[in-house]
Amino acid sequence: MLPALVRKTWRDDRLALIGWTGGVAAFTAIYTSFYSQFQGAAELKQDALPQGMLDFLGIADMLSPAGYLQATIFSLVGPLLVLMCAITLAARTIARPEEDGGMELMLANPVSRAAFAWQRVVAAGSALTGIAAIPWILLMIIVPWIGMDIALSNVAAASAGLVALVWCFAGIAFLVGAATGKRAAVLAITGGLAVATYMANAIGGMVDGWHWVRWLSPFHYFIGTDPLHTGWHPAELLALVLLGAAATIAGVIVFDRRDIGV
Amino acid sequence: MPGGKAGDDVGMTSDIALLTEDLTKFYGQRRGIEGLSLEIRAGEVVGFLGPNGAGKTTTIRLLLDFLRPTRGHATVLGLDPRRDKAALHRQIGYLPGELVFPGRDKAEDLLRFFAAARGGVAWSQVAELAERLDLDLSRPVRTMSKGNKQKVGLVQAFMHRPAVLVLDEPTSGLDPLMQQEFLAMVRDARVAGQTVFMSSHVLAEVQQVADRVAIVRAGRLAAVERVESLGKRAVRAVEIHFDDPVDPAEFSVLPGVRDVVVSGPVLKCTVDGRIDPLIKAAARHEVMDMLSAEPDLEETFLSFYYHAEGAGDASRAGA
Repeated sequence: MLPALVRKTWRDDRLALIGWTGGVAAFTAIYTSFYSQFQGAAELKQDALPQGMLDFLGIADMLSPAGYLQATIFSLVGPLLVLMCAITLAARTIARPEEDGGMELMLANPVSRAAFAWQRVVAAGSALTGIAAIPWILLMIIVPWIGMDIALSNVAAASAGLVALVWCFAGIAFLVGAATGKRAAVLAITGGLAVATYMANAIGGMVDGWHWVRWLSPFHYFIGTDPLHTGWHPAELLALVLLGAAATIAGVIVFDRRDIGV
Repeated sequence: MPGGKAGDDVGMTSDIALLTEDLTKFYGQRRGIEGLSLEIRAGEVVGFLGPNGAGKTTTIRLLLDFLRPTRGHATVLGLDPRRDKAALHRQIGYLPGELVFPGRDKAEDLLRFFAAARGGVAWSQVAELAERLDLDLSRPVRTMSKGNKQKVGLVQAFMHRPAVLVLDEPTSGLDPLMQQEFLAMVRDARVAGQTVFMSSHVLAEVQQVADRVAIVRAGRLAAVERVESLGKRAVRAVEIHFDDPVDPAEFSVLPGVRDVVVSGPVLKCTVDGRIDPLIKAAARHEVMDMLSAEPDLEETFLSFYYHAEGAGDASRAGA
């Protein structure tokens, strides 16, 4: 049976989990389903935006299925949505209960500090993975259903990238929370990092001589490989997962060593 | 202390439930507790007294491994709070001073979580405690009054019948009836051989149940006394009504006599230790009436605390 703390974490987060699940599912389903109706207007929209803006937003073209999915699900709003979910849920593992004081009684149970942290990670991480995988699951159904002409394997690769991206930032958010115990620090630092690295990837792709900054950005490993056209890039996905895992392990170690609720 | 009970060890086991040696915690420059050395035997009930900010909660949170000592160390049941946390916390019942419950559960669901997290506590034990404290488990804890939250806190601390109970301000928010019920629970725990370490700044409650009290002030251990010996050395408040007005100077010079206030023929003062010098001095006048208040721990404690701090604080202790 699962540890009581894992079940308790899910139970305490259930409203947020239901909300995020509904939001991400609605977002994916609505945008993708509009593909056929959208095609007429796409040319107009594409012409309405200057090429520089399209590049910045990671929109190659909005006419092909890959371009449409990239523009709607994978370039801006999709990652933004799942990352907001990742950061807020990661803040709930340690920072929030430490700040409001509720962590003290959970920690008074017979678990080691590290076991407590891992159980919180497992509970939040599994829920997050489920939410980040919603676009993947829905696209596997909707894409064939509405007859989008794109290899499902490529859609799966991009969707897996979204999950890996979430793991990466959730790991960082957990580390910040585990180290500081401050919810505001989690939101500000991780959110700031997400925005900065998103910009780094976008600008690095546009400005000559600045291509190298893309390598510093998790977004490059997620979408810079153009998975919707080129399929799976396991090494890049692994890099994201490893970064998230390293941050998580560091978080557990730091949490095990510091004072709680000071 | 001199004159204290000889043979404190008689009838006690040699098991040490709780031991601190030079336990010290600084938060940066700010002192939490400094140089605390304390030994509590298994089965003892010890009150941990001191004004707010004296370092009681810091000490308790060090014992529970929420804080790591700057210097010194503590062991509980012979175990290290950090290294053996999981094993140790199975045997500790803890009530935080700032009681906040995780989540939005009903009291019953929350207590079922604690029961499961502690390796399966028989529900009958929870129900029994809830009934004893007259607690409705069907309500969400968040919507409860402070007193009812405190009851939930007490139930979770006692429910797994831990070897050691560490309680931070346990009666806070309880009405007088429930305070008495809590004290009865502590007495029962004592009978069952459980060790109780409870902090308080309300002394009457500690006086009723504790074997010993440890007094902290300004981050340092000021004294550890048996409750009955505290009574012997206690400060008493004395009020003497004379036939004629008296001169305060005549009394304020007497050994152990403090806080002398004379209004006309009425003298009020406190006496620390022997009352005989005051009686002899009063006998030189015509005494109409004399009142000596039962020495209680509160005054002993305040005298201990404030007189040691100097005259400036003594005036505040006059109440």
